[in-house]
Amino acid sequence: MPSALTDKLRGLVGAPHVLTGVDCSPYLVEGRAPEAVVFPGTKEEVAAALLMAGEAGLPVTPWGGGTKMAVGSPPNRIGLVLGLRRLNRILEHEPGDLTVTVEAGVPFDTLQAELGQRGQWLSLDPATAGGATVGGVLATNASGPRRHLYGTARDLVIGLTVVAADGSVVRGGGKVVKNVAGYDLPKLYIGSFGTLGVMVEATFKLRPKVDVDRLVVARFDRLKDAGAAARAILASDVIPSALELADGEALRRLGHGGGAGLLVGLDGIAEQVDWEVAELSRLLGPLGLGETTVLDGAGRDDAWRALARLGRPGHDDVAAVMKWAVRPTQVAELMETGTTVALRNGLGAALTAHAGVGIVTAMLTGGADANAAVATLSEWRGLANQAGGQAMVEWAPLAVKERVAVWDAAGPTLRLMKGIKERLDPRGILNPGRFVGEI
Amino acid sequence: MSAIIASVIPLTDTRKKSLRREMETLLGPGSVLSDPEELLVYESDGLTLFRALADFVVFPRSAEQVAALVKLADREGIPFVARGAGTGLSGGCLPSQGGLVISLMRMNRVLEVDYENQIAVVEPGLVNLHLSWAVGPQGFYYAPDPSSQQACTIGGNIANNSGGPHTLKYGVTTNHVLGLEVVLPDGELMWLGGKTRDPQGYDLVGLFVGSEGTFGIATKIVVRILKKPQAVKTVLAVFDRVDQASEAVSAIIARGLVPAAMEMIDQLTIEAVEDAFGCGYPRDAAAALLIELDGLQAGMEAQAERVVAACRDCGARDVRAARDEAERQLLWKGRKSAFGAYGRVSPAYMVMDGVIPRTKLPYVLGRVNEIVAAHGLRVGNVFHAGDGNLHPNILYDPRKPGEEARVVAAGAQILKVCAEVGGSISGEHGIGLEKADYMPFIFSEADLACMHRVKEAFNPAGLCNPGKIFPSNKACVEVGPAYRPHPIEEKGLAQRF
Repeated sequence: MPSALTDKLRGLVGAPHVLTGVDCSPYLVEGRAPEAVVFPGTKEEVAAALLMAGEAGLPVTPWGGGTKMAVGSPPNRIGLVLGLRRLNRILEHEPGDLTVTVEAGVPFDTLQAELGQRGQWLSLDPATAGGATVGGVLATNASGPRRHLYGTARDLVIGLTVVAADGSVVRGGGKVVKNVAGYDLPKLYIGSFGTLGVMVEATFKLRPKVDVDRLVVARFDRLKDAGAAARAILASDVIPSALELADGEALRRLGHGGGAGLLVGLDGIAEQVDWEVAELSRLLGPLGLGETTVLDGAGRDDAWRALARLGRPGHDDVAAVMKWAVRPTQVAELMETGTTVALRNGLGAALTAHAGVGIVTAMLTGGADANAAVATLSEWRGLANQAGGQAMVEWAPLAVKERVAVWDAAGPTLRLMKGIKERLDPRGILNPGRFVGEI
Repeated sequence: MSAIIASVIPLTDTRKKSLRREMETLLGPGSVLSDPEELLVYESDGLTLFRALADFVVFPRSAEQVAALVKLADREGIPFVARGAGTGLSGGCLPSQGGLVISLMRMNRVLEVDYENQIAVVEPGLVNLHLSWAVGPQGFYYAPDPSSQQACTIGGNIANNSGGPHTLKYGVTTNHVLGLEVVLPDGELMWLGGKTRDPQGYDLVGLFVGSEGTFGIATKIVVRILKKPQAVKTVLAVFDRVDQASEAVSAIIARGLVPAAMEMIDQLTIEAVEDAFGCGYPRDAAAALLIELDGLQAGMEAQAERVVAACRDCGARDVRAARDEAERQLLWKGRKSAFGAYGRVSPAYMVMDGVIPRTKLPYVLGRVNEIVAAHGLRVGNVFHAGDGNLHPNILYDPRKPGEEARVVAAGAQILKVCAEVGGSISGEHGIGLEKADYMPFIFSEADLACMHRVKEAFNPAGLCNPGKIFPSNKACVEVGPAYRPHPIEEKGLAQRF
């Protein structure tokens, strides 16, 4: 990187907020060090830094907490890492409006804790260990078990401010919970993995805290029975906030023994939740329900945290993590087939699913045999695709990612996506090469 | 002030004849209108302030026919716009530069219902309520419920990202759409999203919903269907002051409740409704709140008690829950027929649509009254108080010279107030033609430039529903004669809800 650019960046944000050389080593992306790291203190500084990088033709990688930097195709070149940790203010929380506006670098857990103190919460529960930020959660469209009832970031973000590649500050949506003025730009930026702009502020709609929040862990002998139980719950009057299906290996790793399990989140007022707990026993008894545990308080929080940790790269002996999106009724059978495939390739697997929305997290475990991992991931992708669904490699060692595509082959929509990318980032400097279709 | 928008590129008679022949070959007989008398029916939507005549109105029966029509329009350089039931309220489906109106009313089938996965695949011309009817016997419904749901189509809902009273708890159209088969503006047919969640790549479905027909035409739609709630409870709270009712809205939320709907009705509206239908609202109340809870039977009474307590704490003079379904329906009739009831107190009215942070309700309602009074007009308010979505209805007499112009001026001022308090210029009716010039109230040039670039990615030739959403120079707008009734109104086939 030209030293003139480094000097300009230092002039912009102050020397302590620019890292170069070995100081960049905590900011590796797929093993590659950036040429510099810059931490702007305002959105105007983000804009100026983007312009400087653009003029120098230097690729820019936005960086929140850095917890998901391994998602995406391996980059060809890492230029400037643009760290957002200094944009860390909660700008506006009006409890009466059930809205909050925050800067992108606010740690997600910090936001949730602040809201909690005022009797509200953002109904999004992504895995946040390691300091995930609001911006990072949005860029990766991360979600958790409670998406079953409350949806994803695309349902909860009502406004977004983004610095575009040309340095302009663009706002989409607004600060009110209902708004159809103009195109829904927040939807476009959420899940765009930093390829279209740098998010600097977001406004969310909130919910009042629930009175009671319980987790029912229901165990079954067979995954098939747990899958049938999930379907019975979906067809019933019970309104779970989360409905997680775990296979035997996943359940064992969660500390609930083997077999297969359902983790059912139930929240609301006490009368509702009590009725739902009773209704679950009534519904699931005939389906081979074994032991049932009802968790509350710290026990509940620990169980959910354990589930979030399960698919984390580098955790235990996880060799790769793949996500499938299929129809809910296909989940249990695909999970079983997936395990068979892994075993046949000499590896293990632990699978969980958001059973009601059809998102499966498939963890490949045991051994560092890249050939076996490549074979299994390819077969897994085939399974999901044949079921009419999609598969993406959420995490794998570089040696595996070089042989298995992270994303499914892009279909006819790629021309639209490329058209958007070319118009919003004509120089192609924003996180190039990491997204679908090599965007 | 009524505006007729002229066709920008007039087609010669010869060209019209040959185009008509070609389209008849594509669609079969009885599917192409070009007689000016017949076209008149399609010259406006629910907002009759704006009118524009198409050169053709065509009625395809399949996605392939839509694609063929769009290809033809693209080849010939003719503007085109999709149209559902024409119940929109912003002029969004008007052929403002002439050309082709592609009516989707013959594509109105429910193609597939997958109850276990809780999705349905429908065609765009399906009437919103008909989907709930179709899945109702199995205990399901389609949640977005715009007030025009007896007539409006799902395709139109996609274009406008339609809401309704129950969006407070269940969200708007975009929260219920998983996939769309679309015809892009160059005629290519493709799927965005599908039957599974989180499609890889940019959220093209999320972008398409609410793009007001400027990104292409949806020909198949995958929507979520929801299980009907076990129980519903409707509460009516009556207040002597509007600010008490506004406070009650916040107080209910502060007690940890998310009602399915919270609707406010002001005094003028109550009187009109009582004159027309006698729904049991007290005439001397300053405001009434209609609050609906839904969900499990268990705990419903406890929640209703919290709602009642919150309303009383805020000074409600009377709070009562509907005792049975008949009484509940009567209370809702008062809300849903408010628009029709204005006919009792005024020859015409114009419905506005703005959104504000709900804590600003008392201030903004006060400003609305001041603005309208300053223009020598009256206003009735009936709106979605829970999500701050205002619907001031300005009453006027179109036969009085200059009154319509004053309504439009007052409307613009009201939207400016919404923008000033951090709100939006549209909560559910869309921008269309009506509010294109108000977009700068809430969006900067950079915001609009970004939106325009996204539009170009879908619609580079600009033939797909031109002249909408973005501020214009008004070059093609002519000032026409004053209000006249929509032809279907004259025939007694419809009212302006």
